[in-house]
Amino acid sequence: MAAGPYNYSYIFKYIIIGDMGVGKSCLLHQFTEKKFMADCPHTIGVEFGTRIIEVSGQKIKLQIWDTAGQERFRAVTRSYYRGAAGALMVYDITRRSTYNHLSSWLTDARNLTNPNTVIFLIGNKSDLEAQRDVTYEEAKQFADENECSAKTGDNVEDAFLDTAKKIYQNIQDGSLDLNAAESGVQHKPATPRNPLNTDQTPSKEGCAC
Amino acid sequence: MFVKDGTYAKHLFDTEASIKMVDKEPIDVSSSGSQTTNPLSRKLNKILESRLDNDKDMLEALKALSTFFSENSLRTRRNLRSDIERRSLAINEDFIEAFQSVKEQLDSVYDDVKSMNECCQDMTNRLKVAKEQTHDLINQTTKLQNESQALQMKAQVADVFLEKFQLKPDEVKSLRGTRDGTLHEKFFQSLERVKQIHNDCKVLLRTNQQTAGISIFMQSVVFSLEIMESMALHQESAYERLYRWTQNECRTLTADAPDVSFVLCQAIEALQDRPVLFRYSLDEFGTARRTAVVRGLIDALTRGGPGGTPRPIELHSHDPLRYVGDMLAWLHQATASEKEHLQSLLKRCSANDEQIQDVLGHITEGVCRPFKVRVEQVLVSEQDAVTLYKLHNLLMFYHNTIGQIVCKEAALLATIREIQNLSHRMFFNSLNCNATKLLDKVELPPGDLGPTESLNKTLQLLRDVLACQEASVVAFDDKKQDFKQILSCVVDPLLQMCSVSASRLNSTDMAAYMINCIYLMQTTLSLYEFTDTRLEMLQAQMDAHIDTLVSEQASFVLNRANLAQVYGTIQQHQPKQGALSSIQGMDSQTVKTAMTKFDSYLASPDTLILPQCSLILSGRVRDSVKKNSVELICEAYKHMFEAINKPANEYKDPQSIVPRTPDQVVKLLS
Repeated sequence: MAAGPYNYSYIFKYIIIGDMGVGKSCLLHQFTEKKFMADCPHTIGVEFGTRIIEVSGQKIKLQIWDTAGQERFRAVTRSYYRGAAGALMVYDITRRSTYNHLSSWLTDARNLTNPNTVIFLIGNKSDLEAQRDVTYEEAKQFADENECSAKTGDNVEDAFLDTAKKIYQNIQDGSLDLNAAESGVQHKPATPRNPLNTDQTPSKEGCAC
Repeated sequence: MFVKDGTYAKHLFDTEASIKMVDKEPIDVSSSGSQTTNPLSRKLNKILESRLDNDKDMLEALKALSTFFSENSLRTRRNLRSDIERRSLAINEDFIEAFQSVKEQLDSVYDDVKSMNECCQDMTNRLKVAKEQTHDLINQTTKLQNESQALQMKAQVADVFLEKFQLKPDEVKSLRGTRDGTLHEKFFQSLERVKQIHNDCKVLLRTNQQTAGISIFMQSVVFSLEIMESMALHQESAYERLYRWTQNECRTLTADAPDVSFVLCQAIEALQDRPVLFRYSLDEFGTARRTAVVRGLIDALTRGGPGGTPRPIELHSHDPLRYVGDMLAWLHQATASEKEHLQSLLKRCSANDEQIQDVLGHITEGVCRPFKVRVEQVLVSEQDAVTLYKLHNLLMFYHNTIGQIVCKEAALLATIREIQNLSHRMFFNSLNCNATKLLDKVELPPGDLGPTESLNKTLQLLRDVLACQEASVVAFDDKKQDFKQILSCVVDPLLQMCSVSASRLNSTDMAAYMINCIYLMQTTLSLYEFTDTRLEMLQAQMDAHIDTLVSEQASFVLNRANLAQVYGTIQQHQPKQGALSSIQGMDSQTVKTAMTKFDSYLASPDTLILPQCSLILSGRVRDSVKKNSVELICEAYKHMFEAINKPANEYKDPQSIVPRTPDQVVKLLS
């Protein structure tokens, strides 16, 4: 009956995008359930999960929409970019093709979301170092080109939390215009959007969090 | 002093007596003893023996004597005795006198004591009486004391009882609430206590029935009932207040992301005890959220995000799939969010899923109309079957997806289902429309007997439809059902159209044309699931046309070699008609000429292929027609060869008429 978890100050809506099989659903599952899901089935359309995190003493509810990577769902998932405060763009570091497709995902994200939507770049499956196909430096450069700051880490938790911290920091700085969100958004997140991309490399198998 | 004097007197007398031999009173034991022997001597002895120094009494007596016997003369000695006696008498008189006062004093003491005794006696009696008199009083007092104790105990019990069964003033106050109508933690505690007291009273009533006597029972029943009544009153007014507050609070929750406060959760939890008020409060919440969701949808449709990005959904209304898809995705997200809000509101309650679903259904009901109107408009104005089918699949997909959040009975789901049915109808309408058009304006087969343009177009449509079927995420059964219907909507009219269009052709042309058409349909269908029965049916039709073409081809060859007549006669020939060579037109010369012609065909069989056969699109079918027709020809040749070589038919030198054996013919043709 803890009242705490429900009393949040902000709701951030995220969308996870990326090619099929890069581990989007696992990432979400890892973040919300803190468990690795082996044999994760293909996502049908969209699924969603929530978790409340705390940033600088403020409770923030993350509502994360996990989309299907399969091409046939592209038309469906496109509709979910609307109103997202953050887009998590995921690729698989062991499969170059998933990295090559990032630009198309990015185009989608840019076209279909608010210009202020935060886009993160996440290279998944960093535990499979031996099969690495995309170097960290290369991905970092790609992220930099898109005005991102980059960092690496094995921890999914940190990826989500650090991001939220940065967003919250921006609210505090006043660099995020809360009023803009209130003025005409139809979506819940009374959220601030700000360009900020991160290259996270959380492990897929055996995430230690 | 008296005693001393007495002693002194006696001794004095004793001494005198012993000296003067006067032995009167008092006599010593020793003097009586001396009588036995010689009392005088004994007395003398005694005197002689007695040592004056040691006899203190004697010394005392002598000392006393010396006080008054001052003049030792005869006279005084003679008078000594009387003197002593006199003195003794005087002393005794003194004694008497002295004792007299003692006696008197003793008497008075006696009197005193006696009176004291009397007094005491009297006192005792009086005490006794008093005691007898106070006995009752004491009893009474004790009784009263006991009673007092009992009463004190009762008072304590009563206090405890009051503590337990009555509200404290501040509790009553907190129940009445503050002027501005806000609720505090205290309110819920007091409400909880009122409830507790009410329940305790119930228990009290029940236990009274079991234990107490009738009168006490009646009393406590009355008492319990009174408390219960007062608690019920408190409860009612408190719940009334709580409900009003909750109602007002819920009414304000129309923001995009409602702030469900902790107090509101508590209030909802407390209202659970009043199902009707609970229900009303939830309804109020639902209505507020419903308004918010409708406004949200309209905003998303017409205003878009902040500063117009993302762009309003209606901006894409020219693209039906995107338009409807965006709306559905918005509804999906809104439904999921609303469910979360509801769950956070009810997190302290034991509300069952049914209630949540009920309210969720109410919340999402509002958007049904604006949504339905828009989608219906899209569906009705859309002509393209493929788009309609895609829309249908999209609706089906969202019916599934949203169905995971809300229950089947929800209005939103029912609306989607309704629209989905409409889209289904519109889609098949469009297909049927297409079919009708096909049959209305039947194209004539082109010269090359290939497929008409409308056939190609329709098959392309079918391919497109089936392709989006492939891409959709619909339950297997639904897919299969749809497939059947789609196929019968497209393929049947197509076949019909082909037959109609082929009706003016000769049988060979018709067979080739139909084969081509059916072949195209087959190749299109074979790429998809659930088409097996359809393919079999098409194959059967095709086989019939192939048979026609094969026999046409075979008879064409035989005709060209003028063997048709010969073969026909041989087939009909009966032994009773006589030898075959005797029948007209079967003479060896005619047969031989024909066979020569046939031989030239054998040299280059391709010259005698029907043009229609070459127009068959499928190489496989073309080959099979060729092969089957060759088989037929070989069969016929074999038949003729045997007949001519038969001696009964009386052909001379059959070897020259049919120089090739059937095997050679087969080899040449294959």
